[in-house]
Amino acid sequence: MSRNSTALDQNPSALVLAMKRVRAVAVDVLLITLMVVMVDFLTVVFSGRRGPTGLLVSPEESLDLLHYGWAFVAALTLAILWQSTSGLVGPSPGQSLVMSQKEPVHLPWNQTLRGWFAVLLIEITLFTGWLITEVQLVTFLTQFSKAADIVSGLLNPSSTVLHQGLVLLVQTIFLAFMATAFAIPVAFVLSFFAARNLTRGTRLSRLTYTFVRAGMNFTRAVEPLVWALIFISWVGIGPFAGVLALWVHSIAALVKLYSEQIENIDLGPVDAITATGASTLQVLRYGVVPQVIPPFLSFTIYRWDINVRMSTIIGFVGGGGIGYILKPRVDLGQWGEVGTLVLLIAVTVWIMDILSARIREKII
Amino acid sequence: MSSEVAEASTSNMAVRVENLSKVFPGGIVALDDVSIEVYPGEFVVVVGLSGSGKSTLLRCINRLEDPTAGRIWISGREITDSEGADLRALRTRIGMIFQQFNLIRRHSVLINVLSGSLGRAPLINSLFVRFTEEERVRAQTSLERVGLGDRGASRADALSGGQQQRVAIARALMQRPELILADEPVASLDPALRHSVMRQIESLNQQEGMTVLCTLHDIDLIERYASRVIALRDGQVVYEGKPERFDAATFRQIYGEDAEPSSHLDR
Repeated sequence: MSRNSTALDQNPSALVLAMKRVRAVAVDVLLITLMVVMVDFLTVVFSGRRGPTGLLVSPEESLDLLHYGWAFVAALTLAILWQSTSGLVGPSPGQSLVMSQKEPVHLPWNQTLRGWFAVLLIEITLFTGWLITEVQLVTFLTQFSKAADIVSGLLNPSSTVLHQGLVLLVQTIFLAFMATAFAIPVAFVLSFFAARNLTRGTRLSRLTYTFVRAGMNFTRAVEPLVWALIFISWVGIGPFAGVLALWVHSIAALVKLYSEQIENIDLGPVDAITATGASTLQVLRYGVVPQVIPPFLSFTIYRWDINVRMSTIIGFVGGGGIGYILKPRVDLGQWGEVGTLVLLIAVTVWIMDILSARIREKII
Repeated sequence: MSSEVAEASTSNMAVRVENLSKVFPGGIVALDDVSIEVYPGEFVVVVGLSGSGKSTLLRCINRLEDPTAGRIWISGREITDSEGADLRALRTRIGMIFQQFNLIRRHSVLINVLSGSLGRAPLINSLFVRFTEEERVRAQTSLERVGLGDRGASRADALSGGQQQRVAIARALMQRPELILADEPVASLDPALRHSVMRQIESLNQQEGMTVLCTLHDIDLIERYASRVIALRDGQVVYEGKPERFDAATFRQIYGEDAEPSSHLDR
């Protein structure tokens, strides 16, 4: 029971304000460092400097030649200077983003330092990005003929692979279905521990919340392709490895969606059931579950839909399904057969998309 | 008063609250040293502005909120620190009615009434929504009592507001409580329907002998139903007495100088 509240709870303003100041400076330092480093990058690339091989330095190589330390020091100086003179030149980006400081009157962007800074930052970022990703507009516009074979193959699908494709398409759909079905019970149970509004009671429940949330965020951050590689070494090449890879990823994704639904429920029925003397499980069963079943169903169908798309890619690395026979044909340049398989996938995804949207509309 | 006398008088009371305070995280003081006593069979109405602490007071009594300081007794037993099975057993003896009815919208009316028996039902059966024949019969009787005997199979959200509140009363009745906490039971209802719901609560008080602690806004309802009035302002008790003495001056004292009591009080 929380019987003692500290002075900090009562009067948080001083500490909160200090924290905001620090965050505002951090944001400014980050943005100004970015700007200075990119200007440095452009200077190096256009300086005509030559590398050890005697050729002009490439954008990639020049990343190693920048003055990151100096940029940071300069940015720190500029950020502090800007914030201390903000009465004169207007609030800095950090002050505006973190502390919601604005000019007393509304000014168009080109009359504030912040506006000029933002526009300049975006333009320099575009320019830097152009060089780093080696954009070649001329090649793109003149060299299409080299890819014409592929496009004509895709437009003239060959029928030789149709039968095998259809068989593996069935496998793909079931693969996605099994992954989703296995994920439901696990995600259902975990989602209650990952819902903020149900885990405020005790220290243990708050700890469980943090733990489950962190675990699921990590699991979701790892691409299904990587999970597939792990499970292929575990259970061998084939559709079961694909099922497991999508299963793990689906659990993490469904826990997020489910728990957000739980966080959005009306707490009134929860209070009412608690007030009858019901136990925690009964409160969940009567106060929470009836409210979340329709959105849970909707998200689960959506997840199945997503898993069908994902299982194509999973197949590329050996996780079963239609992707498994697509990869070698891409490598060998059998574009007609690739065309057939791509068409099969596209039609399936299209149908799944329509069906799942229709069903979800009816549920909610 | 010696402690022995205090214990003896406490055991006569349906509810006794002593020096109760509740401070919410963030520093909002909802209750500030509140002491009240409710005797068995009373119909006590708590009045006050929104935010005066009425709801918090009710929610502390069945421990939906944990008080920051002070003590609470129900029928002579201190429950301030009750936990687990003890707390649940206490709650089964207290029925609660809410402003927003708080029914399980997607379940049938009968299941909603049956949910009043969850505190005494075996866990596994209740998780599969299985109830005994005896409980079903009692639920049906409760429904008939509030005049909804034929609506048991309807979905709860298919009913009108007044009907939903009567289902909530049937749910409380299912608990066979000795105390009813009613938090603004008619505030979200059409004025024409208020008396039908209030009369149901009154009949629990007069025919079943249940003690009622009820928050209300409407001065007509206070005069008509209350046996005693307690008024809160800024989390403190500012008035306590018979509803007849609750006049326009008292009303302004509680609700502030700008408040407008209903017309007949000024006449």
